[in-house]
Amino acid sequence: MNTCPGEPDSPGPYFIMSQPHLRFENLTKVYERGQVVALKNVSFTVERGEFLVIIGLSGSGKSTLLRCINRLIDSSGGSIFVDGVDVTELSNAGMRRVRRKIGMIFQHFNLIKRSSVLTNVLSGRLGYMPMWRSVFGLFTKTDREAALRNLDRVGLADKAYARADELSGGQQQRVGITRALMQDPDLLLTDEPVSALDPATSHSVMQYLEQMNQEDGVTVLASLHFLSLARRFGTRIIALKDGELMFDGSPAEIDEVKFKEIYGEDAQEVEVR
Amino acid sequence: MMRMIAPDLRRRVLGFLLDLGIVYYFIHGSMYLYLAVWGRKTLALYSYFKLQHDYAFFNPLKLVAWQWWLILAGTILLVILLRTFGRSLGQRATRFALQSVVGDRISLRQRVVRILLLPFSVVATPFQLLLPATRRQVATHGPLHDALSKTSVGLYIKPSDQPRRPIWKTQWGWVVLALLGITFFLGWVIIDAEPEALLSPSEETRRQISGFLRPDFTHLMTPEPALTQNTPEVEKQKISILNLMVITILMALIATILGAILAFPLSFLGARNMMSNSVGAMILYRFVRGFFNLFRSIEILIWVALFATWLGYGNAFTGVMALVIHTIAALGKLYSEQVEAIDPGPLEAIRAAGGSKLQIIRYAVIPQIIPSFLAFTLYRWDINVRMATIVSLVGGGGIGMLLFWYRHSRNFNELGAVILAIIIVVWTLDYISGRVRERIV
Amino acid sequence: MPEMTDFGYKPPSLRTWKGLSETFDLLRHRIASRLSPVFLDLVAVATLWMMASYMFSWLAWSELRYFLVPGWVYFIGVIEAVAIWESFGLSIGQKVSRTQLVGPGLARPTFRQRFVHYLLWHVSVLPIIGLAWRHPLHESVSGVASVSVIRGEERPAPWYQTSSGLLVFALMIVSLSAAFALTVRADTWTNFISNYGRAGKIIAALFQPNHSLWRNGIAALFETIYMALMATFFGVLLSVPLSFFAARNLTRNPVGRIFYTLIRGFLSITRSVQPIIWAIIFLVWVGPEIAPFAGFLALFVHSIADLTKLYAERLESIDNGPIEAITATGGSWISVLRYAVIPQIINPYISFTLYRWDINIRMATVLGLVGAGGIGQPLIRYLQGMRYKEAAIYIYLIAALVWGIDAMSSRLRRYFDEGRPIDTQTKKELDTERYVKSEMAGRAR
Repeated sequence: MNTCPGEPDSPGPYFIMSQPHLRFENLTKVYERGQVVALKNVSFTVERGEFLVIIGLSGSGKSTLLRCINRLIDSSGGSIFVDGVDVTELSNAGMRRVRRKIGMIFQHFNLIKRSSVLTNVLSGRLGYMPMWRSVFGLFTKTDREAALRNLDRVGLADKAYARADELSGGQQQRVGITRALMQDPDLLLTDEPVSALDPATSHSVMQYLEQMNQEDGVTVLASLHFLSLARRFGTRIIALKDGELMFDGSPAEIDEVKFKEIYGEDAQEVEVR
Repeated sequence: MMRMIAPDLRRRVLGFLLDLGIVYYFIHGSMYLYLAVWGRKTLALYSYFKLQHDYAFFNPLKLVAWQWWLILAGTILLVILLRTFGRSLGQRATRFALQSVVGDRISLRQRVVRILLLPFSVVATPFQLLLPATRRQVATHGPLHDALSKTSVGLYIKPSDQPRRPIWKTQWGWVVLALLGITFFLGWVIIDAEPEALLSPSEETRRQISGFLRPDFTHLMTPEPALTQNTPEVEKQKISILNLMVITILMALIATILGAILAFPLSFLGARNMMSNSVGAMILYRFVRGFFNLFRSIEILIWVALFATWLGYGNAFTGVMALVIHTIAALGKLYSEQVEAIDPGPLEAIRAAGGSKLQIIRYAVIPQIIPSFLAFTLYRWDINVRMATIVSLVGGGGIGMLLFWYRHSRNFNELGAVILAIIIVVWTLDYISGRVRERIV
Repeated sequence: MPEMTDFGYKPPSLRTWKGLSETFDLLRHRIASRLSPVFLDLVAVATLWMMASYMFSWLAWSELRYFLVPGWVYFIGVIEAVAIWESFGLSIGQKVSRTQLVGPGLARPTFRQRFVHYLLWHVSVLPIIGLAWRHPLHESVSGVASVSVIRGEERPAPWYQTSSGLLVFALMIVSLSAAFALTVRADTWTNFISNYGRAGKIIAALFQPNHSLWRNGIAALFETIYMALMATFFGVLLSVPLSFFAARNLTRNPVGRIFYTLIRGFLSITRSVQPIIWAIIFLVWVGPEIAPFAGFLALFVHSIADLTKLYAERLESIDNGPIEAITATGGSWISVLRYAVIPQIINPYISFTLYRWDINIRMATVLGLVGAGGIGQPLIRYLQGMRYKEAAIYIYLIAALVWGIDAMSSRLRRYFDEGRPIDTQTKKELDTERYVKSEMAGRAR
């Protein structure tokens, strides 16, 4: 479902080979005039098609990092290069064009509660629609059919017209995933996608993300709490502690020692199957 | 420098002023009551303010006139006494209390020392602040009366291991009681209360009551001749109860819809979370909010009276204009409060998907606020209908014209009929809007 | 009949007091819930017909005629229209009360079933008492029942394809046009323009008020404030005990139920009449010499009605837990009231009282416009005498008063509604103070 190479939104085949999808250079974010440091000189790269998992304690900067990528939060220093383009320097209009290729999934789903599931899913196309269509809610037939197809893919076709807040937590997150799917994204940012769900539903939601990563070739960045999920789904793991990059490697490399380094002395690993 | 001495100066001053106001109110209220009781019916509130009357006995008004500073000094003295001995109402409201630097309880000696030193402290402290040597001393130990009595007024945290003092032992309990008492008596005098007037109705009252009990519906559908002749503007409209009732409801309807339409865009300008981007936007926000507050403060009927002098009396349009203005202000305030209370999550989601500001408003803000907007509009329509029934008492169009005429011509039977019609219609609309609101929200 | 099991339903016995009042309650509830959609439909159709004939007659003959047909035709026509609408379509009353007609086995009713439903509707609904049966006649014979809406999986029909949507749309269009036609006339615009000189005078006067009247104004202000204050004070005094009798969950015994119905009904009626109309009544009653007293009485009567309603609604939504707990310990109903009910309601009651005080002040400013005392009296005198410079003073004072009271009242109400300290700065300071003190005293937190 990716856009064809050669279209203005996606880089050509040479780009895919030559540069990483994401590159962070000394990313820093401070609050309260320097008193609270959320991110400190974070630098790393992400290749296309990776499933990158970000782990760390609450407040270690995971959410901040993800939100700096699509500039929901403006960073205080450093740069982020998305396909070679520095997003920290982009204009508002340019940023919107970049955002529509970046899907985002939230911990608390962030659905429009009173609107139907279908409307929520269709709102993923807003970045692509002209102003007059979006104001009057005139989505094209193609978009509608694509929405229903995508809903079918996540198994929610029969709930298309139900109100979003009538669904269970797992179903709501799947609607969020479908909304992101509608954007035809190259990159998927997921901010603690399963923290609000029970273990069984968590696993199933993570599997949808894995499907997007493996079948559609979407680069996925996921921040997770449970190391077992990280090991199961991630191709690479990054750990943050107090805003600094603490670990960057494959899931197998995290042993007992590293674990305590990341999470602190009293931490115990919890299995989530 | 002031911050060094008293970081919460504003609150301290507010607390003191509150106590001052309470005692001042008490003193003036007592004086007025004294005059009212002795002067009986010859005294009016107006003369108290105009300081006109001259009585043979002790006249506190004379004090008010040229010895106001005496009263002020006495008040300040009393306030200081209240604040030093016990915890005054002003201290309570601003969460301060007198606390001892040494030990938990404040001895009587400490309190007396504090009071005696106060006048010296008031004189000395400004000088102490000017000299750098003594300034530090003031900053650390406080002014003279604080330092030598080893007490200070500071933030009070109720100790959790002590039970609350019973109300009758506290200063604020008695003060509140005294305030209530004096307000009650003052009120009784000021509103010219005479319960006997209720119990011994005059001839006219008897006619009124009997009129209400036998309402006369002759002019329910047939026009009232007296009014049709007097007002040439409405000669084609038949002035009957049913007609005017319909006009009244339509007035309210049009005012509500126009008001809602105009208030809708204004509400976004008056919502803090939509306007916090730039300085210019915040100024606009304050302006819009101020406009809402100001126009809401002037009751609809006053707007009607104003518009009536402009557009003429008995005109339905006058009523509509007045209702529209008040509706815009009231609905604007309600709407903006609703916009400020939305969940920011969906806004984030649409923004992340690449939506523009307008798309964010259309897809994330508006769906969250539609139910409450509709509920508020219905609620406002309810109020507007009630208001429209009386708007014509002061110059608008509608059923109030009949109310006014029948009262004027002392025709209580038909007045009763009109009131009954109002009751039925307002009650029905109230019920319907209540049911629909239940369904929407 | 649709196959719905009765789950062993037994009607309450008529032999005991309790059973009697339960039966009364049940019947009342049945009639009310079934009558409500019918009432809504009747009002909707009647209004639409009347508005349409208003519009039509105004446009065609420039005069207003209520119904274009004789009265009895209108009457019967409305009733028939509602009966047909409810049997053959989804009426607005049904939509608002979320019910729909279904046939046996939850299938869609056939035309024949609907027709029988329509015919027997007249027998059950018109005498009203027919609605008290568990399965009213028009439902049991036709096989059609009215049930709660089952939300389907299909796409909901857009408004222009439903009968209720169309009716509301038509009502809106017709009412708005009628409203425009009746309120805005040809001479309105000429009035606007030709009188703008007067408007200019009013606005100019606002900038040059007559400053000698400030003292008079403040005296009148005090009169207004005290009218509102006393009305609120006495209103609270009477409303608090009354509210316990007007709360559904506290009046379950038969005697209580009677009180409840009477009080609620009376309150509803009193609330529909604005204080100004009460002021007119009381002015005649006590005489114009003690005008502020008449104003006070008007506000007092309206306050009781409004306050009792607010209080009672709050009482109905209290948490049942503490009541259960105190009852379980064996406490009498007074203990339950004192320990379980009252602590929960003190803050909301205070909040409502402040709200009512705010409204009373607003009302008090305008009662004088009809001569019932307060600041409205001098205002209307000056306005009607066209002395705008003097009137301006009073307008400023009124605006200042209402604005001030509004600000104060909403701030205080926030405190009582949420139990927060009045400003968060205080809380931060308190926490810091506490921390610092404990640090200084050498205690670890």
